[in-house]
Amino acid sequence: MITPLELAALTANRRPGYTLPAAFYQSQEVYEQDLRLIFGRHWIFVGTEPEIPEAGDFLTVAIGTDSIIILRDDDEQLRAFHNVCRHRGARLQSARNGVLSNIVCPYHQWTYNLTGELTRCKHMGEGFDRRDFGLKPVHVRSLAGLLYICLSEEPAPGFDEMQAAMEPYLKPHDLLNTKVAHQTELIEHGNWKLTMENNRECYHCTANHPELLVPLLEFGFGYQASPENAQALQNFDDLLAREHVRWEGYGLASRELDLLERVTGFRTVRLPIARAGESQTPDTKVASTRLLGALPRADLGGLSFWTQPNSWHHFMSDHVITFSVLPLAPNRTMLRTTWLVHKDAQEGVDYDMHRLTSVWIATNHQDGALVARAQTGVESPAYQPGPYSPFTEGLVEKIVEWYIGRLGEGLAAS
Amino acid sequence: MSATTFAVTFARAGVTTQCRPDEFILNAGETAGVALPYSCREGACGTCKSKLVSGQVQMNHKGGIRQREIDRGLILICCSHPLSDLVIEEAGARTGS
Repeated sequence: MITPLELAALTANRRPGYTLPAAFYQSQEVYEQDLRLIFGRHWIFVGTEPEIPEAGDFLTVAIGTDSIIILRDDDEQLRAFHNVCRHRGARLQSARNGVLSNIVCPYHQWTYNLTGELTRCKHMGEGFDRRDFGLKPVHVRSLAGLLYICLSEEPAPGFDEMQAAMEPYLKPHDLLNTKVAHQTELIEHGNWKLTMENNRECYHCTANHPELLVPLLEFGFGYQASPENAQALQNFDDLLAREHVRWEGYGLASRELDLLERVTGFRTVRLPIARAGESQTPDTKVASTRLLGALPRADLGGLSFWTQPNSWHHFMSDHVITFSVLPLAPNRTMLRTTWLVHKDAQEGVDYDMHRLTSVWIATNHQDGALVARAQTGVESPAYQPGPYSPFTEGLVEKIVEWYIGRLGEGLAAS
Repeated sequence: MSATTFAVTFARAGVTTQCRPDEFILNAGETAGVALPYSCREGACGTCKSKLVSGQVQMNHKGGIRQREIDRGLILICCSHPLSDLVIEEAGARTGS
């Protein structure tokens, strides 16, 4: 048992530059505070607009034991509600996605319209006021088609600023005119923070991700300089500078923007892709010949976008991949990965599913195994916090520092 | 002229019964003893949504079904009259009790 007071002390005494004490990765109490203070109070990436393109389309998202319905109402507005009937609390929708005309509870058929109003319920008597029993709303926002929800009554500050900063990067890829080509759900046997820490570094890439290492240039993720690699590092820096000028010539915002320390923290940069320079595919050429939006050519590298606390995305000329990380238990985490291509692209004609998905399907499985390996290690009595590399794990430190700051502030206020 | 009736088959139950053109399919099924889920009985909630496997109906719903679902062959049997003989894959019971 860890009391909130003990957790506040652990948070305040966290050693910068080091991994977290074991309790943060395995204790039920910390997990519950993570759900309450991190996932309950920040903008959480949950999906994409192309998953709910038409009026009546919905998707459900589980966060811990909570479940949220995100839908497009009859006026095509995005809305989100707690997936809980106001009658006796039954889960309203158990499907992952589908089409709704009303939200009807399967238990006693209390019926809500898509704006959340209770419109029908039988046997509740003359004095019953349905207006008192609408669905509980949840904040939902779209960032150029990426869907974020915030569960707190007052949404976390900074979404508007993130949107203003990110739209020039994201909009040329025209996510609103894409469709889902593929989606996977991988349950990783580790704490959600281990999943995120693993995402924020590529120290592990050369030994573990042979498929990803074909398109990925490892220098883009931090490197310790040495006489042996000095020339290669210089070449990468030169390439990056040259490509940023070229891409910005096409009107594509590309330069690094790092605002990870904000409450609604994020970072982006457009990075070169190896060889053909086009896409994260087995041969680095586009997987879909139908390019996104009005992009002028295929070799535009990959725009990466990371948000605190639970997402990363890669926007290329031919497809977009999004990753949503959602805690299921202290040692279990859902990684939902979605591949999107131009809405008119046809499988087998414009794109090949295997070429589109194989790099990240392989990489996700490798990462899942690494996360499980890390989890079993931190559960060992011999585990003690270890040092992050100042060269390759600076972004791991940034998400952990953000987490500790946000948790500490939440604990102090409650 | 004597009133025509149509043969309505509920495929899951394996029951065929007669339904008058002015009768709702749900009522005809209930009369024949078919267990059919329903709630509002006026085409608003969607609880009785069923697949029309063959035949034609006249449906007057109140928003309990989307055009996209109608296009896929779904109907609300509480507010649909038969226009021909029908085969219906009726909605299953929604809960265990």
